[in-house]
Amino acid sequence: MTPILSLKNIEKRYNDHLALQVEALEFAPHRIYSLVGPNGCGKSTLLQILALLLKPTHGELFFDGHPVSWTNRDLQRLRKQITLVHQSPYLFDSSVKHNLAYGLKLRGIRGDEQHRRIHEALDLVGLSGFARRRARELSGGEQQRVALARALLLEPRILLLDEPTSNMDKASIEAFDDLLPTLLEKDMTIIQATHSPDQPKRLGSQILPMAFGRLVSPP
Amino acid sequence: MDFLLESLLASLDLILAMDREVYLTVWTSLYVSLVAIVFAALMGVPAGLAIGLGRFRGRRLVITLLNTLMALPTVVVGLVVYGFLSRQGPLGHMGLLFTPIAMVVGQIILATPIVAHYTLGAMSASDQRILPTALTLGASPTQGALQLLLEIRFGVMAAVVAGFGRVIAEVGVAMMLGGNIRSYTRTMTTAIALETSKGEFAFALALGIFLMSVALLVNLFLNLLQQR
Repeated sequence: MTPILSLKNIEKRYNDHLALQVEALEFAPHRIYSLVGPNGCGKSTLLQILALLLKPTHGELFFDGHPVSWTNRDLQRLRKQITLVHQSPYLFDSSVKHNLAYGLKLRGIRGDEQHRRIHEALDLVGLSGFARRRARELSGGEQQRVALARALLLEPRILLLDEPTSNMDKASIEAFDDLLPTLLEKDMTIIQATHSPDQPKRLGSQILPMAFGRLVSPP
Repeated sequence: MDFLLESLLASLDLILAMDREVYLTVWTSLYVSLVAIVFAALMGVPAGLAIGLGRFRGRRLVITLLNTLMALPTVVVGLVVYGFLSRQGPLGHMGLLFTPIAMVVGQIILATPIVAHYTLGAMSASDQRILPTALTLGASPTQGALQLLLEIRFGVMAAVVAGFGRVIAEVGVAMMLGGNIRSYTRTMTTAIALETSKGEFAFALALGIFLMSVALLVNLFLNLLQQR
């Protein structure tokens, strides 16, 4: 099976500092991957490259077996299939509904379909009835769940999650762990960065340990 | 002291009596400066955004130039535009000198760097996650920039208001390019300068009260926006 994403000799440097170096890595579709490792080991940098938000200094990234050209046209087309939820997600200064509708509008999804997707996504993250609330007035955990809902309703082929449960309480984490495997049935591939020692195993995900910008034991 | 008090009372009389000359001058000032600030915003906001988002060679030089343009003396702008619009100038055939259009052009040159500078400032102070968030949700770079603009809207409005504050109170451009023609290009600032020299202190004071009121309103609005 063709990997949905693969990296070949990827490097990211900030001046002389080598932040990431991955010789070869492939992500098969419809699986959950967990990047684990201490702070500053390159997890977020890798996720940003996979989200096509950060161009590597060297190396090639392949999407569905085709090299990513990093041209604006290519990036915009591919980004509609990949969504990253940041560790401290930014919610637009408006209502929860407006935040959730943003990506849908960019895809031309309006009216009843938009309404249905927003309410389904809010149900999924346990925030039914939050549509009219101002996004900035929610708690940290609620904001993280809104950001997750905002990504889920776009039904991306690749969902990237940077420390998705860092602000959530225990009950929300359990709900999140139940939710994640169900997304595989929706044709998603999930790549998350996490600090949690147990959660990757609980999810049955493939664990990719990282240290000092490198994969410790490449799969 | 009596002179000041009598002048103040006389100026209030003029305002309350809806003196045509006073109100026409106020209207000319507001009209010219509002038109100028609309065009300055249309150029200054995208310029500030482009400089803020761009990572190009010479960016620091552009920012330094922008900061320098903010401090442009109004008479120098008036002088340069005068050179272009005067009968012997390259645009002299258009017959724009001593018209409200010439004043608008001069004020656009004054206000655009201010609007661009404050827009750039609002961008620099904004959350660095806005653009990546918009992009990862599927926005094009232009759509992302528009979302960024929406998020920093209060900063951008403050930039426009600051630009308006600069042009409504300037005198050099209005005097040199407008010519202070009664009922046509006479603004509050040029009228104050002229009427004071003619000894019409009460008339000048009435306009001064209006000008201060506008400045006060602009600053109140600016403070309100900066608190958001």
